[in-house]
Amino acid sequence: MRPWLHHNGWWLRRLLLLPVHLLVFALVAFALVRTIPGDPVLVVTGNQISDDQYADVQRRLGLDGSLAHQAGEYFGRLLRLDLGDSLITGRSVTEEFGSRLPQTLELAALGLSVSLVVVLALSAVVLLRPRGVISRLAMAYARSAGAIPEFAVAVAGIFVFYASLHWLPSPLGRLGPDDPVPTPVTRFPLLDAVLTGNPQVVGSMLLHLVLPVFAMVVANSAVLLRLLCSQLEVELARPATRFRISTGAPRWVVLASIYRRALPATVTMSGTLFGYMVGGAVVLEGLFGFGGMGQYLTDAVTSADLTALQGLLVVIAAVSLVVFLLVDLINMALDPRRRPGSGGAA
Amino acid sequence: MRAGGWRWAGLAGAGLVLLVAAFAPLLAPYDARKIAGPPLMKPSGEHWFGTDSNGLDVFSQTVMATRLDVLIAVTTVLAATALGMAAGLAIGMNESGRGGIGVLARAGARAADFVQAVPAVLVGLVAVGLYGSTPVTITVAIVIILMPMQARLVRTEVLQVRGEAYLDAARMAGTSELRLTVRHVLPNVARPAVLYMSVLFGVSIMLTAALGFLGVGVAAPTPEWGAMISRGATDASLGHWWPALFPLTVLILTVLAVTAAFSTFQQGRQRR
Repeated sequence: MRPWLHHNGWWLRRLLLLPVHLLVFALVAFALVRTIPGDPVLVVTGNQISDDQYADVQRRLGLDGSLAHQAGEYFGRLLRLDLGDSLITGRSVTEEFGSRLPQTLELAALGLSVSLVVVLALSAVVLLRPRGVISRLAMAYARSAGAIPEFAVAVAGIFVFYASLHWLPSPLGRLGPDDPVPTPVTRFPLLDAVLTGNPQVVGSMLLHLVLPVFAMVVANSAVLLRLLCSQLEVELARPATRFRISTGAPRWVVLASIYRRALPATVTMSGTLFGYMVGGAVVLEGLFGFGGMGQYLTDAVTSADLTALQGLLVVIAAVSLVVFLLVDLINMALDPRRRPGSGGAA
Repeated sequence: MRAGGWRWAGLAGAGLVLLVAAFAPLLAPYDARKIAGPPLMKPSGEHWFGTDSNGLDVFSQTVMATRLDVLIAVTTVLAATALGMAAGLAIGMNESGRGGIGVLARAGARAADFVQAVPAVLVGLVAVGLYGSTPVTITVAIVIILMPMQARLVRTEVLQVRGEAYLDAARMAGTSELRLTVRHVLPNVARPAVLYMSVLFGVSIMLTAALGFLGVGVAAPTPEWGAMISRGATDASLGHWWPALFPLTVLILTVLAVTAAFSTFQQGRQRR
């Protein structure tokens, strides 16, 4: 047991810190809602309410009693994963997020996966044939990093491929009007469709996903491509590469060695990229009629739905913390020197 | 394109954008908030960029939106860079210190790393939801999002400079820690952060436009690129391309021009 703990402490310790970090962010969310200008009760309801209603709304917002009492209630409910009921829609915020968040995360994950595949492929071309046409185009694209918003690509895509050419289905949801909706099992729509095993539904869903995923990939991959290519260039020039070549190792071993040394920065960047992808997914969902977080959040913002926003903060923190943890763990696995307590030279 | 051509195109473009932003009210032929003609007119001599579905002049709107978006971007980038440099210096110089300050600095470094994984658009949404969709809220929210990026960059540089002998020499000469940081550390760590301002500019423009696109950005009658593109998207799916295409093109060209202009500084310095 002892040596096992010793060898695996690096990731165990990070995992145990997760709830602590989450608690900090829950506290931040709790504090932020109490800093908004004006009386939150009046912000939510408008001005015309009786005293009875006032007290009722205050209680349902979790704003009655002393601050300690409020905090006790809030954290007590948080432990039961209860984010409260929205005063605007009257529905449980936890349930709304539970059904919507998977859709958004799936879209973001698809965007990130496609983006990683494209970037790895392009970077290999740039590494092997730096003067070729594809490499030049790829580098020109990398230089545009951050200049093209995903909604711009999406609007242009809808105009060209739907309105003009009719190659892609209308941007009105994940499925065509005649496709049966797959039974929710995991609540990740594409995964559910695959699990239900109806090829027509899967095909239709993929066709509906082409444009949003394409838009997210075009808008966000340039940063990653630029970073990976510059890292690869640095690692290519290192003595370690010359060592591999001089030992007569096959070409793919040399490549693998270069990539392994160049990857940590890319992994870190992928974590950031996932954040961009979630943001992109939220922005695009409304445009494509997908029922994810997008529409719900814009409604929550325009109607000043404090309960939903407070819950959103906690959920953002939870998702980001998990991504951050994964990034750290992958990097520590790739490069043991990054593990805490290894003294910098393991 | 030759590197020199790219460079001058960038500088000229960035200058043009700043001029348009500064003199927008003089350039706009119509009031950007009032109906200027029949709805959905194609671009013509009278309406250079056509009119949108409400009959507003797209050219006037685009020009006025440039003013607002560029103003927000420039303000946020400058503020975030100043604050981020201060935070990065404070963290970097104290990180290996003992006691409360050291712990605080290390926590700050981790927090700045963590913020990179937070979806910026969602932070913007929460800020607008809690404090209202005014340009000031959006500016403050974007500064909060951008600041950690600069802090992180500056901190990394500080860690490399911190062991240099000239700092020890200055300490021996009795220079205070604050003066040392400002006079000797800051000049040696500022360059990457200054160059990184072009990236921040892009992010800032994207965020403002994304919030506008979602319909929760700067409130409705005020022209803003994202909101214009969002309204134009409905027209585009019916085949009317101009209300969305023009603000979209200007947005992309603006960010490209600023990026190119900054990359010329980088190359100019390297050549010497």
